[in-house]
Amino acid sequence: MTTALHERAAGRTTAAGARRAGRRRRGRPVALFLAPFLVPFVALYAAPIGYTIYQSLFRMHRSGLGLTAPTQVFVGIANYATALGNADFRGSLLRVLLIGLVQVPLMLLLALGLALLLDAKSTLFKRFFRLAFFLPYALPGVVGAIMWSYLVAPGLSPITALGHQLGLHLDLTSNAMLAPTIGNMLTWGWTGYNMLIIYSALQAIPAELSEAATMDGCSAFGIAWRIKVPLVRPALVLTTVFSIIGTAQLYNEPTILHNVAPNLSSTYTPISAAYDAVNANNFNAAATESVILALLAFVLSFGFLKLVQRRGGAL
Amino acid sequence: MKARSHSLAAAIAVLAAAALVAGCSSGGSGAADSAASSGGVVKLDFWGWAPGYDQSVALFNQTHPNIQVTFDKTASGSKGGYTKMLTAAKAGNAPCLGQVGYETLPSFAAAGALTDVTKYAGDAKGQFADWTWKQVTIGGQTYGIPVDTAPMALMYRKDLFAKYGISTPPVTWDEYAADAAKVHAADPSVYLGDFGNDSYNYAGLAWQAGAGWFGTSGDQWQVTVDSAANQKVAGYWQGLLDKKLLKTDPSYDPSLYSDMASGKVLSDVNAVWDAPIIAGSVKDGAGQWAVAPMPVWDAAKPVYGNDGGSATAVLKGCGHAKEAAEFATWMSTNADSVSNLIKVTGIYPAATSGLTNPALSAPDAFYGGQTIFDVFKAETAHISTDWQWGPTMTQTSTDLGDGLGQAGTGGTTLPNMLATVQGKTVAGMKQQGLSVAGG
Repeated sequence: MTTALHERAAGRTTAAGARRAGRRRRGRPVALFLAPFLVPFVALYAAPIGYTIYQSLFRMHRSGLGLTAPTQVFVGIANYATALGNADFRGSLLRVLLIGLVQVPLMLLLALGLALLLDAKSTLFKRFFRLAFFLPYALPGVVGAIMWSYLVAPGLSPITALGHQLGLHLDLTSNAMLAPTIGNMLTWGWTGYNMLIIYSALQAIPAELSEAATMDGCSAFGIAWRIKVPLVRPALVLTTVFSIIGTAQLYNEPTILHNVAPNLSSTYTPISAAYDAVNANNFNAAATESVILALLAFVLSFGFLKLVQRRGGAL
Repeated sequence: MKARSHSLAAAIAVLAAAALVAGCSSGGSGAADSAASSGGVVKLDFWGWAPGYDQSVALFNQTHPNIQVTFDKTASGSKGGYTKMLTAAKAGNAPCLGQVGYETLPSFAAAGALTDVTKYAGDAKGQFADWTWKQVTIGGQTYGIPVDTAPMALMYRKDLFAKYGISTPPVTWDEYAADAAKVHAADPSVYLGDFGNDSYNYAGLAWQAGAGWFGTSGDQWQVTVDSAANQKVAGYWQGLLDKKLLKTDPSYDPSLYSDMASGKVLSDVNAVWDAPIIAGSVKDGAGQWAVAPMPVWDAAKPVYGNDGGSATAVLKGCGHAKEAAEFATWMSTNADSVSNLIKVTGIYPAATSGLTNPALSAPDAFYGGQTIFDVFKAETAHISTDWQWGPTMTQTSTDLGDGLGQAGTGGTTLPNMLATVQGKTVAGMKQQGLSVAGG
């Protein structure tokens, strides 16, 4: 306080001092203005992440039968080694990777196709279709998952029943069909959402470009492929990143589907594996698995961004 | 300079956040403490899910002006209720009382989530069957009061049994297998019973066969999920599954009740508390259902299984352990409370005085006017009382549930599943720092 007063007094005498004091004094208003953002950011965002990482470095230590209160001991990265050595958890990571690898490109191709169709001049009932395709996203994910569970449940499924009539013996909840069934639920729920983002980008393309291309004798397909698709690339990149993160966090669909398909394991996806660890009262393992999953989503989404940025530079 | 003002702003923000968080937690607990002791009235929170508990709590509050219990209905234990309690205990704000099944009590003890109430509850010991008291006492310390036990029986459709030529319900498991074949041969869409994915129901089948899962030897846990006795039980059910003689609807699932209602599933081997659940789920079958003893391995020496039963546990950090134990004892022994729990919750009381409760001899209209508790009463004398649960039951039951679900669809076999569960349980126990024999 004394120093501040002293500096303030000195600041009145020289111009240089005034500048210095001004900078010094600016600290407080800056803090005041930043506080509405920083306080919730630190309390609600940074602190939980920090605490999760901190928790992942410890383990509960019990003695003998473990019927006395446990103590917490520091184990470094041993929990990470255990989690990655756990076949169930590794399997869950691999599963979301495979589901994502198949489902994300399929869904985005579908979304792009639908967006291009909606954007085409000759398409009728644009508003109706735009709403119809988007509607599944408006439904809460859990509700959609429940609906699909009943559509695929053995004994209840109208799809299986129809297949049966046609001589097809489908079992949409068999072990082999679980991943395609979940991929189908995801595609149904999210295609419209992605379509809308791509469609908005398409709307921003100046009509002159298409007109000029038409005059040059370009077909509608040619316009779509050579002009529109390259121009909506940023939207495609964005939806891909969203989809990668979304698939890594897969939880709703398998959890709901488990009710009708008890063969779906309780560690089907990384999040359900972490939730399982919480249920088993192993908070440290749950924290470790969460951190690994977050890192995976980070590496995949940023890896994808880097990849397309480099390609973009070369093109 | 610029950097410094940033770090100053950040430091202020961090301090403000810390003050905010600290302010919240200290203010919160302080308020709770003062409220609890104001005017000499002790306030207790009680988390549980069973229907009817709230009515027993209301009865208690009417007669005990100095102790007021608030019952909060949570999700059932395996559906998140236990996780909620454990998380609250870890965070230091658990309620005083929680509904905890005997099977999960050792896991709670191993998590350090319980309060030792031996000195307050000790007097109540004589009012309970020895084995139920053993379920709430771990390592010589008592953590709660038993509420109920759960003998298992065969609940079946009388009329449809007759229709398929089964004049008396199967007494032994051999007869059960023969009847399952008979029914299925008469109509391939009809099944004698359902093999669900409820791990505790399966535990009851193992319990009956004397195929224990856990034990202790000195300072070490023993895991015997994969023992010869367990393989015998698994082999029997796998045999029925291989011949496709059982329906494999998920336990307590709408598809099971729809099959029961349409006469596709004729019976269920389940615990006493399942009797009102079936009654509520297949209302149209009222009057056609009946309860018989569960099939046994040896008709000359009948032994029955147990599936469930829970305690009112006193959780970690309870500042009023004496009052908590007083309430828990009252809920399990007071005649009015026990009648209420029998009628609404469908419990079979753990307190010996409860066994003469008039509510136990009331005829049940859904079960054709049968006094169904007579069946359970006759069985209780023949239930093995040395069954012991392990300290990581949540994980074991999840793994077992996964395996049962897989077995139902042919993804694995029950004998293989036992080996998997054994391995995972031992690994899980070691990971939690427990010492396990043989590893």
